[in-house]
Amino acid sequence: MELKSIVEGIERSDTRSVARAISIVETESLHVERNLIIKSIYPKTGHAGIIGITGPPGIGKSTMIGNLCKILSSKKIKVSVLAVDASSPFSGGSLLGNRIRMQENLSRYGVFMRSLANRGLNGGLSRAVWDAVDILDAAGNDFIIVETVGAGQADLDIVNLADTVIVVLGPGLGDQIQAIKAGIMEIGHIFVVNKIDREGSFIAIKDLEETLAFSTQGEWKIPVYGTNSLTTEGYDDLIRGIMDHSELAKSSMEFRKKRYREEMRIVMQDEVSRILNRKFKDMILNGSELEKLLESKTDPYSAARKILKGSTVKL
Amino acid sequence: MEKRGENYWNSKLREIQNNKPEKNSAYDEWKARTLEPWNKNTGYIPREFTNSSSIDLKEVYTEEDLPQNHENQLGMPGEYPYTRGVYPNMYRGRQWTMRMFSGFGTPSDTNRRLKYLIEHGESGLSIAFDMPTLYGFDADNPRSDGEIGRCGVNVSSLQDMEEILDGIDLAKVSTSMTINAPAAVLTAMYIAVAKKKNIPLDRIAGTVQADILKEYIAQKEWIYPPEAHIRLIRDMMVYCTENVPKWNYISISGYHIREAGSSAAQELAFTLADGFYYVEMGIKSGLKVDDFAPRLSFFYNSSINFFEEIAKMRAARRIWATVLREKYGAKNERSLLLRFHTQTSGYTLTWQQPLNNIIRTTVEAMAAILGGTQSLHTNSYDEAWALPSEEAVKIALRTQQILADETGIPDVIDPLGGSYYVEWLTDRMEEEAYRYFDTIEKLGGILESVKKGFIQKEIAGTSYRRQMRLEQGKEIMVGVNRYVEKNEKPISTLKISLKAQTDQVSKLKRLKESRDSEKVSKALRDLENALRNPEENSMPYIIRAVEAYATLEEISNVGRNIFGEWKEPVIV
Amino acid sequence: MSGGIYLENGKSQLLFKDKPIKILLAKPGIDGHDRGILVLAKAFRDAGMEVLYAGLLPTPESVVETAVNEDVDVVALSLLNGAHLTVFRKVADIMRSKGIDDIALVGGGTIPDEDKPKLEEIGVTGNYGPGTPLSVIIEHVTTRAAEARKRKLSR
Repeated sequence: MELKSIVEGIERSDTRSVARAISIVETESLHVERNLIIKSIYPKTGHAGIIGITGPPGIGKSTMIGNLCKILSSKKIKVSVLAVDASSPFSGGSLLGNRIRMQENLSRYGVFMRSLANRGLNGGLSRAVWDAVDILDAAGNDFIIVETVGAGQADLDIVNLADTVIVVLGPGLGDQIQAIKAGIMEIGHIFVVNKIDREGSFIAIKDLEETLAFSTQGEWKIPVYGTNSLTTEGYDDLIRGIMDHSELAKSSMEFRKKRYREEMRIVMQDEVSRILNRKFKDMILNGSELEKLLESKTDPYSAARKILKGSTVKL
Repeated sequence: MEKRGENYWNSKLREIQNNKPEKNSAYDEWKARTLEPWNKNTGYIPREFTNSSSIDLKEVYTEEDLPQNHENQLGMPGEYPYTRGVYPNMYRGRQWTMRMFSGFGTPSDTNRRLKYLIEHGESGLSIAFDMPTLYGFDADNPRSDGEIGRCGVNVSSLQDMEEILDGIDLAKVSTSMTINAPAAVLTAMYIAVAKKKNIPLDRIAGTVQADILKEYIAQKEWIYPPEAHIRLIRDMMVYCTENVPKWNYISISGYHIREAGSSAAQELAFTLADGFYYVEMGIKSGLKVDDFAPRLSFFYNSSINFFEEIAKMRAARRIWATVLREKYGAKNERSLLLRFHTQTSGYTLTWQQPLNNIIRTTVEAMAAILGGTQSLHTNSYDEAWALPSEEAVKIALRTQQILADETGIPDVIDPLGGSYYVEWLTDRMEEEAYRYFDTIEKLGGILESVKKGFIQKEIAGTSYRRQMRLEQGKEIMVGVNRYVEKNEKPISTLKISLKAQTDQVSKLKRLKESRDSEKVSKALRDLENALRNPEENSMPYIIRAVEAYATLEEISNVGRNIFGEWKEPVIV
Repeated sequence: MSGGIYLENGKSQLLFKDKPIKILLAKPGIDGHDRGILVLAKAFRDAGMEVLYAGLLPTPESVVETAVNEDVDVVALSLLNGAHLTVFRKVADIMRSKGIDDIALVGGGTIPDEDKPKLEEIGVTGNYGPGTPLSVIIEHVTTRAAEARKRKLSR
């Protein structure tokens, strides 16, 4: 496919173009093509509400996403889903799991879903995820749901990417809160207790409301909803909550600035390391300087600074 | 017996540990005195000696490898704990049933094959169904396209069952039907045919597999989520206990677990864990353990590691008898008997040099007989290619007949009893099983373990390890990774024509036009009401729906609307 | 990983260097025999690929849709129930009707020799049976993936 037709395709919301564009942003060596695509589509972004969904494994996030998509698309709201597998290794193979079986249901409602193996720095959300969100945004989605799978930094990073972060928990909260104390309680804009047909869910909701009684995210009062994925009980409230928060986030200049800043930080980090890899590789690995530094027993910090200082890099 | 904080399985494991011999001085001394010097001088083959269950094997076993209570564990044939066999006279009293699994194409194709087998001396019928039937889809469902009659016979409605059993005296044969998710519906069809032929329900005999737990574990042929199927099986169990006394409603199957890649020890452990679940289900639904336990039977795989298979079957009998008596309080002798059907392994058959499969099947069949099976299916040599041809099926049946009538193998009961190796291996298999029971209990029981994907992952792990060993040449398959022949000659196989599909579809169309649709919808409505009430027994309603010629899919859809469909947990 | 090298402007390029082969495994018929496909999923992962498993009972339509959304290099189909001619063809037909030529189709399962040419004709290659060494399958998939990837990159 030609780059031009990919860009046009994205704007037409053509599935194959969107899919191919995401492949390109996933491929480091295609950075020239990637930059062109993002540059062309970026003016079209800013419409979609970005929803991050996170929570411990086995809590029914996939089913919940399926239900959300079903209800939203029945209201003629266009949704896409990105499943980010934060557990995949930085290199080598991975099993993206059979989460994609969700797709069979989603395709009935015309929902696009894509899984991404996350290879971000420090285990955080990779630049490719941000790019993919931009692509889906430009493709005219009203909402983009980003699910992070596999605990870690990516779960926390979602707060920078998403307008609205939904933390999904289940009955029998005590252990889960302990297990996810690593900051997840602070990032949620909406909390959901799933499987409310199970024992202990009433208490879980009460506990959670108590825990969150004094927490706010700016002017937003954090709500707690109970859902039952089998009967879709509680989904109307949840969707209203999402809509309300999304409006609030989009109207906040503060939030938009923060998001833009974070995206830029990631891109800069990425650019720097790419240049470092490309330009300094010869110098560091093959230059005669290496041997000299080694023989003089120069410590690696001083050596690195010396090499960096001696270079003249142009971006 | 049980200590505080200890479950039943812990206490059994402790018992095994306490009885284990501390050391084997005869072996140790022999090793130092004779074996090692010999190895040093003449050399030896440097390879691992292990089996499918990853149990390492010594060069030789002696009396000192057996526990102190060895004699009690063994017992005599027909006596507790039945290690040596469930009946006092075993094959001297009655030969095992040669039960050849068959079924393909249209119901009339299968009817002809069944009659052919009866003519050639087969003593029990066994029917295989095609994929759409196993998943509760009719022949005219678009998903069934290309699948009709491929892996077994297609049954979409009662008229198909009538055709399969046409001209066969149901009072004289026993019929085994390999059916799980829709087992209640197929049982209802069999009952309906018997009623039409005026045969009293207490005279029809047969088995349905209906082991739904192993579907989620291994065979993966389900319709609804586990709880819904378990409820339907419970209804069938209660109905048949009261009305069809010679109907064995659950055949607890290790065959598919093994074919899915498990080890022998895993097959043993997971079937028995499934079995204990069904016992608890029966007790919970108000039946007395001794009323239904005698009707539970098992279905094992006989694979290629000869002694391991025999040890597995002996261990199975001992564990079942022990646990039924100690944990579930069974008093009736018959509740303690683990009776089982065996099928030789399909996985060990190769498409390369297919005639070699006859030898593999022979060895596996011998293991089943030495393991004390009650009935046996021997695979045909061409099954790695396609459904078996008539010729291949006959050779497989003749294999059993030669073993039965020429070899003298069945003449003496449990001839390997007392073999140090076989007894030691039987103990190890038993120990592995108890370890799994303990783990499963800690995970919240077998149903929870299956829903979490634990059991499936255990099997997938074993299967992957085995494949890696094959790749590395640590395990050998003749014709596959050793003694490979460059040019394999194709063999002639059974062809299923697409005619089976068009026949079935047009027959179904005619049925739907000619039946009393008023009666059908009423029967389905009644069934729906029954299914919505968990206290109601749905079985009589299923029988009525079947008799009104409601189709398999129509009946299954009633449940699909109430219970939903099942998606597997993540396994890879 | 072998087979991933191609020439562009006279320079050799590594096709899968910074984006591994992405493969979708599917059993698009009524067939629960998943021993082989589960082993392959792990073997492909261990060979460095990104593996998606469509689970049991996906429809041919949803297999193609997933393949497109995920922009995979290869779709590997498996059936052991004898319905491969009908079902594999459905997948191939849907792909062709959508004009997809940059995703390779490979097959496997219980496939008699006489069916293999018919499958190759509709673009389903490999068609390996049980007992095929994993290395053979991986090599074939890699070769087909390289063809597909090259078509994706050509413009």
